[in-house]
Amino acid sequence: MTISFKRVWAVFLRYFYIFTKLDQLADLFYWPVIDIFLWGMATVWIKKIDQDVPDISLFILTGLIFWGIVWRGNYEVGVNLLQEFWNRNLVNLFSTPLRLVEWVFGVMLVCLFKVVISLLFGSFVVYLLYELNVFTMGWSFVPFASLLILSGWSIGFLAGGVIMYWGQRLQMLAWMMAYIFAPFSAVFYPVSALPNWGQHIAWALPTTYIFEGMRSILNTGIFPLRYFLISLVLNLIYLAATIIFFKFMFEKSRAKGLARLE
Amino acid sequence: MQTNQPALSVRNLHKIYPGKKPFVAVDGISFDLSPGEILGLLGPNGAGKTTTIQMLMSTLTYTSGSIVYFGKDFKKHRSDILQKVVFASTYVSLPWNLTVEQNLEVFGRLYSLSKKEILKRLDPLLERFGILEKKKTLISRLSSGQITRLMLIKAFLVQPKILLLDEPTASLDPDVAHAVCQFLLEQREKEGLSILFTSHKMDEVAELCDRVLFIQKGKIIADDLPEKLAMSVSSCKLQLLVGDGMKRTIAIAEKLKMPYQQENRFIEVKLDESQIAQFLTELAKAGVSYTNITIFQPTLEDYFLKMVGKNNDYKF
Repeated sequence: MTISFKRVWAVFLRYFYIFTKLDQLADLFYWPVIDIFLWGMATVWIKKIDQDVPDISLFILTGLIFWGIVWRGNYEVGVNLLQEFWNRNLVNLFSTPLRLVEWVFGVMLVCLFKVVISLLFGSFVVYLLYELNVFTMGWSFVPFASLLILSGWSIGFLAGGVIMYWGQRLQMLAWMMAYIFAPFSAVFYPVSALPNWGQHIAWALPTTYIFEGMRSILNTGIFPLRYFLISLVLNLIYLAATIIFFKFMFEKSRAKGLARLE
Repeated sequence: MQTNQPALSVRNLHKIYPGKKPFVAVDGISFDLSPGEILGLLGPNGAGKTTTIQMLMSTLTYTSGSIVYFGKDFKKHRSDILQKVVFASTYVSLPWNLTVEQNLEVFGRLYSLSKKEILKRLDPLLERFGILEKKKTLISRLSSGQITRLMLIKAFLVQPKILLLDEPTASLDPDVAHAVCQFLLEQREKEGLSILFTSHKMDEVAELCDRVLFIQKGKIIADDLPEKLAMSVSSCKLQLLVGDGMKRTIAIAEKLKMPYQQENRFIEVKLDESQIAQFLTELAKAGVSYTNITIFQPTLEDYFLKMVGKNNDYKF
């Protein structure tokens, strides 16, 4: 099977051109600023009343920025798929030579573009408001962020597969799915803070190793290679599985007709 | 390469939706579309026309049978085949938050056209379809007629070999619809374009199509020239402007069991061609005076109505 980069680029442009629309800009800039402000002020206040809490602002805000990467990965897959439903464009799109795998790569490309922008913007806002550098962990940031994008895509293709078959009545999954995994991913607190049953779930998620690893770097400065490798393997397994699931649901949906989804 | 090879060959195509009571939407249809041919797909709502078109563009999988374009199996060569096969319909849209130009650029690129090629082809097409000034306009600001024209521009942008058109003129004004039909005929002459065409405008189908397939309950029940299908309807309509004797005219029509419609001094009687002489003789015997006698030959619409069983809608 050959993949046409021209068609991947066409998919990228299709979503890139709506990037400057008001609703898209709000998703990219408004909500992150609100989150950073609320959580940042909360941590500033906690630190004021309890001086013994070490670097809580950095932990929380780095977690917040990192979680934004997972959410973005999930959101871009789900919402870009929904764009085709809302615009009655699904039949148009898949009656062209476009292959599903090319659509998948196109959406991943858009996602990478937006992740970089939202990451740089969020980090800048954190620095501006709280004089904190979320890149304190240095170059370790790059492999961790990359793994988080993979996790986001896995969640996105899981939600996307469900939406592809059942249609708009389950569209809320595009926004909600990532948050199902958030409590178990140890984003703002260590895994040890979870109840025993919750810890079992947490260690099965690739995101947990990244957030634990992130705290480990911020505390000790040592890159947790073991966590990184486990997360990498889990991410690759989950991403492959969810893309296969997405393709399976697409074919099931095609058997019923894509036109029914519009 | 075989010169007589059909552009599209459909054999024994079935679409069955499984369930407690499986629903057969398309029931073993077979047909060919020759290069340069315009083939009409007619049938009442729910007959299986749209289902067939959806299968022909792979947005719906078929249960059994085969679809072969240019001698290649569609299932195995979907992406290559769709480089030359384009679909346009009044009932699908385009991303409303992109401009006309952005939409067409994205679409052209999906067919592996470069931006340079797209821009070169774009303006003449926009001008031909009368929406050049809308190039930078968002789709959400276009009228439904303009969107329909844009769908056709989208189809012709990629210079296809086969065009699948689902009611392409449904939302167009008559003059624009006529211009579109002329453009389709022109493209067929110039480029040897093959067209599979569904429409509810029977005069348009009769004007455009070389051949018509009539589908009912998922089966092809007729495959012929539009004029031959029309002529297969033996009844015609006879219209008279009655000067004196409308009541006697009605009585004769009723006696001969001919459906009729009367409005003021006009009466339109539906009858077999073989009954015209008998009817006029009866009128003469009864002393009915009339002027303006007009005989309407059966049309494709009459054929359609006959086949779907709606030709009994006359009021008595």
